Amino acid sequence: MGRIHVLSEHVANKIAAGEVVERPASVLKELLENSLDAGATRIKVQIEGGGKKLIHVVDNGCGMVRDDALLAFERHATSKIKDAEDLLNIDTLGFRGEALPSIAAVSRVSLETRAADEDSGTVMEIAGGRILKVEESGLPAGTSIAVRDLFFNTPARKKFLKAESTELSHIASLMTHYALAHPEKHFELHSATNAMLMAAPVQSHSERIYQVFGKETLDQLIPLSADARLERVGIPEPPPWRRDEEYQSPEPGAIRIHGFISRPEIQKLNRNSIFIFVNGRLVRDRLIQHALTEAYRNILPPTVYPVVLLFIELPNQEVDANVHPAKTEVRFRQPSFVHDFVRDSVRATLVKARPVPQFTREITALPTAAPGFSPGTLMQPASAEFQLHSQPQPPINERLQFSAAPAIPIEANAAISGFGSVPAPVFDRAVIAANNDPCGNLVVEDGEEIPENMALSTLRPLGQIRDSFILAVNADGLWIIDQHVAHERVLFEKVLRERSRAAVEGQRLLMPLLVELTPGQQAVFAEISEELRHNGFDAELFGARTIAVKTAPAGVQSAEIEKMLLELLDQFQREEQVLNLEKARTRIAASIACHAAIKINMPLEQNKMEWLLAELAKTECPMTCPHGRPVVLRYSVKDIQRAFKRI
Amino acid sequence: MEISVSKQDLLKELTATQGVVERKTTIPILSNFLFEAAGDKLSITATDLDLSLRTNCPAKIKKEGSCTIPARKLYDYVKLLGDGEISIKLLENHWVQIRSGRSNTKMVGMARANFPALPLFPAESAIKLPAQVIRNLIAKTIFSISSEESRYTLNGALLVLKPESITMVATDGHRLAHVEHVNSKLPVSGEMKVLVPKKAMSELSSLLSSLLNSSDVQVVEFAKDESTLFFRLGSRILTSRQLTGQFPNYEAVLPRDNNKSVTIHCDEFSGAIQRVAQFADERSNAIRMRLEKDELKVSTSNTEIGESEDSIETSYNGDPMVIGFNSQYLLEFLKVVGTGDVRFEFKDAQSAGQLRPDEATDSEYKYRYIVMPMRI
Repeated sequence: MGRIHVLSEHVANKIAAGEVVERPASVLKELLENSLDAGATRIKVQIEGGGKKLIHVVDNGCGMVRDDALLAFERHATSKIKDAEDLLNIDTLGFRGEALPSIAAVSRVSLETRAADEDSGTVMEIAGGRILKVEESGLPAGTSIAVRDLFFNTPARKKFLKAESTELSHIASLMTHYALAHPEKHFELHSATNAMLMAAPVQSHSERIYQVFGKETLDQLIPLSADARLERVGIPEPPPWRRDEEYQSPEPGAIRIHGFISRPEIQKLNRNSIFIFVNGRLVRDRLIQHALTEAYRNILPPTVYPVVLLFIELPNQEVDANVHPAKTEVRFRQPSFVHDFVRDSVRATLVKARPVPQFTREITALPTAAPGFSPGTLMQPASAEFQLHSQPQPPINERLQFSAAPAIPIEANAAISGFGSVPAPVFDRAVIAANNDPCGNLVVEDGEEIPENMALSTLRPLGQIRDSFILAVNADGLWIIDQHVAHERVLFEKVLRERSRAAVEGQRLLMPLLVELTPGQQAVFAEISEELRHNGFDAELFGARTIAVKTAPAGVQSAEIEKMLLELLDQFQREEQVLNLEKARTRIAASIACHAAIKINMPLEQNKMEWLLAELAKTECPMTCPHGRPVVLRYSVKDIQRAFKRI
Repeated sequence: MEISVSKQDLLKELTATQGVVERKTTIPILSNFLFEAAGDKLSITATDLDLSLRTNCPAKIKKEGSCTIPARKLYDYVKLLGDGEISIKLLENHWVQIRSGRSNTKMVGMARANFPALPLFPAESAIKLPAQVIRNLIAKTIFSISSEESRYTLNGALLVLKPESITMVATDGHRLAHVEHVNSKLPVSGEMKVLVPKKAMSELSSLLSSLLNSSDVQVVEFAKDESTLFFRLGSRILTSRQLTGQFPNYEAVLPRDNNKSVTIHCDEFSGAIQRVAQFADERSNAIRMRLEKDELKVSTSNTEIGESEDSIETSYNGDPMVIGFNSQYLLEFLKVVGTGDVRFEFKDAQSAGQLRPDEATDSEYKYRYIVMPMRI
């Protein structure tokens, strides 16, 4: 007898379920996408037991007729595409026709649905993939689907589920993502005990962010909007002699991105606060993530991440979502174009915003003090979490944080009210409307504020704190400037400028400095030695794994040369990406600047401080150092008045 | 201890020691003087552990003994006292009473036992060096010493004693000052090399100038043991920790084949550099020197500040060339040379340039200054 046999459909479904249904959140994802594809405008989700017991999604979408409802649970049955051609042009979130049968194979599903133009609806019950009941019934239009006892027939899988609270937090963050992506729709998420998300339809993404995360978060974000025409590079057009008579060149279409990016003082330790939507689909795309990292390079330190909500819209032909069953990955037809476009737009917005860190923001940007961005954490037994936040701050913070003492508890409250059980806060639409810019993005304006670069040039230094930080004042308020990073920023831009004119000054050394390299460092050295030479380093191989440095950039002390060179080589070595010249250039510049800059613990005379501030004001991005640390902190007059209870 | 000393004598010695007393004190005892009275002398010692100075002055000793007194306070106080005798008396609990005329002060000292012990001057191995020569050698090299603390062996100058010459070399890795005094006759066999820390050199230099001004003693006695250098100037003994480590092989960097040269008057040259350097980059101080027939042009150009050029007439007739230098390095040398002509010798824009005073003006000293060009 042969060894090979065809698996029963039951088994096949269970296997497919393994790919699609990983945890309760993935069930909810499929159901939500179905609802959205069905054109629903109100989606209500009820969760019990972290989704293990019950996931109940009710929508007011188009619903299904009885036959469709029966078919929906067959494998590869879908209304979303018809033929292979459609795969190139998918405008629905789902298309594989696998979700419902996969879910049904590992749980007990009850479906109630009525198409809008039918008189009566259909009730179905399915358990472990077998249809138990099909009945006709009077129902409201739309679909209600309840998934109970997930993995009841696959105990192994069930064991791998995490604690209820963890699963719930996954569900909550998933729901948040979809709510953010579709501000025009109504979303509700209820757990057994409380309402976790209530988001009424609103006009714009910024209003939705306000609903979900609260005002504090919204204030810390910079709106972003950009578009560009796509030049078609993917599929070549057929040659003229093979074109039909009515052939028209395909319209290349346009890419549009909009959304929100955080100011650099917000620093997250992981990428969980980066939300990327491609044509309304939440993806975790390495390409886009890399573009964001690039955009924040020299603004954020390398191991922290910004908060980003990015909506990328481009023609369906330009993106392929059919990469993985879970559809969290996409492929772009023109990946490098998309990458560069995202990077440049984000970068330009950041530079334009010239964000100035402020004291209170610095404080709240501490990982423990910003619950706003991580809705997941709110799902923990909430009371304990918040007691933590309202505890008195340690004394050091109290002194740092000049503003009114209750700042942190207030922020915590804001986060609760934006997200938690209390009804959504009354939203003053008039104010928003007044501030809306043409792109529909919220512009947070403060009438008193002077443009920051101007503000910097009016600074008058008062003195130094511990010979490390310059205190300065202007009409705007009190500023504290880190002298090392300020000088570093000045030098960084100078080195880059000189480099672009090929006019970097190098000081030749009396005696060549011998530096021993590891094999890895040597490989990197071979690759970047040319660029190093343009930056004032002249080094040659000297024996097997030694280089002799003959010239070093002017201004770098000789003792720093070796340290700096090794640091650079190590940095490049760690980098998994292929070296790109521009990146190498900025990195070398950052390193030269860092080692040539004045250090902390160095007394400065008044005129030197004035010089430094004036130079800083001239720089392009005076608020963060090339490694991403803030350069200046501002304490505005308003904050001071508030702290003294004058307003 | 109970003594009486004249204000003039005391103040002179206290002034001499001020440079040695630890300013930013981490160990409290180091900001104190050690006073020791024996025979007819009061000896005063100050130390910062690296560098120590022991000096003495005549005093009337009523009772021998020793005490420690806060250095800065004592110096400031003595300065304000009227001329006349000052009596110093050790009281209980390390208090010290200082009386002069109608002034009466008690200062809180510290236990004598806490004061670090200093190595003794090994008189038998001492070599007599001409004081004026040492002072000149220091002046001609000290500015080239690196101020980077991490490059340990460059934080001092190398002193080489040979039977017929004394040489001092200092470098910071970008430039090197090398000066040799010939015509000396020293009782050393072979060659003796020591690294003298910068602080000891500057202290020695100021002690030498007061010595040369005030007394007719014209020698400084030099001695060393494994870790310490000793300089005795009359009644004062300066001891310094010796820098250990390998001084770079300076002989290898002395240029041998610099085939182009130009002779310039020192004042003219430094004036031109100073003017032009106003428009140099603040960090690198780079200037450009262009040698053409019968002319040396010094120039800078900076897109942010402006540009400047000075031209000096010379008798150059080699190939035209352009070479960049740190103006600061050149100025420091020219300032030491002061007057007369200097010869500037080159090979090309990558190799070391050498500056030296024109031989005729200064024959006793062979002074050369090597400075590496900049790539600009």
